[in-house]
Amino acid sequence: MKTRPMLTLDDCRRMSAAAEAEAKKNNWIVAIAILDDGGHLLHLIRMDGASPFNARTAIAKGKTAAETRRSTLVWEERIKAGRNSMLGMPKITPVQGGLPIVVEGVCVGGIGASGVQSHEDEQIVAAGIKALS
Amino acid sequence: MAFKPMFRGAAAASFAMFALGAVAQVPADPNNPNEALPEKAVYLQYGEPIKLDQAMKAANAALADATKRGWPMCIAVVSPSGDLVYFIKMDDCQYASIAIAQHKAKAAATFRRATVNFERLLGRGPFFSYLATLDGVIASRGGNPIVVNGKIIGAIGVSGGTGSQDDVVSLSGVAAIK
Repeated sequence: MKTRPMLTLDDCRRMSAAAEAEAKKNNWIVAIAILDDGGHLLHLIRMDGASPFNARTAIAKGKTAAETRRSTLVWEERIKAGRNSMLGMPKITPVQGGLPIVVEGVCVGGIGASGVQSHEDEQIVAAGIKALS
Repeated sequence: MAFKPMFRGAAAASFAMFALGAVAQVPADPNNPNEALPEKAVYLQYGEPIKLDQAMKAANAALADATKRGWPMCIAVVSPSGDLVYFIKMDDCQYASIAIAQHKAKAAATFRRATVNFERLLGRGPFFSYLATLDGVIASRGGNPIVVNGKIIGAIGVSGGTGSQDDVVSLSGVAAIK
């Protein structure tokens, strides 16, 4: 039987804290969501001042990254390049700010942020992933 | 053909029922407690929405309790409007509880009462079955408002164990916020 790594609550807390620290360092107010590889919510924070929409968007970005095993920026770039039909992919959020969490070559989940500019959202989640290793 | 007149007859009968429904009233049942008209509205006032650090404090107190008892659970903390502020899924908690914990928190916040009330009233019988038709109800204990100085600032929802286990853990979270 094949075995593969999976995220624990402890992993999520470490990632989320690091991502939140990155946001706070820049005075950014965001929501940060972490999901498993099936797109199921494991951890979410909505910082004071972030909107309910930010929370939903953070989940949607993280879910897209987890389920498609690629950065949401990849989807955004594909569509920007003219592949408009990609908008028809089932339940994807093709907006930068969601990254897959890859451990030992396996996608174990996704992390998404929403609240500031999209590339800043990605900077936040990247800092979260860095805390995992 | 034989079925054609039968079909016509059925259509005519159902039309007659609708037509009657417009004029016929269902009489009040004197045993129905919902027929009573209370003088006053009893409700919790809204306070300043819960902050992330308070939400984490409540959830972490619930988490500590669940961990101590060995119950894998999901814990959600929401604002008074029912929007998610903080969420954690413990290792080995069932997938269904991800949504249920959020639903319980949202119901406790938006209805400004513990979800055990819905569960108990529905259990009382047919006069309370209407509760299940109200938008956003979840008739399962484990969702509780977080109240500070008599005002609701949010709610916490827990799922993963039996209803009674969920509620104990949920109330541990509530107790952490003064």
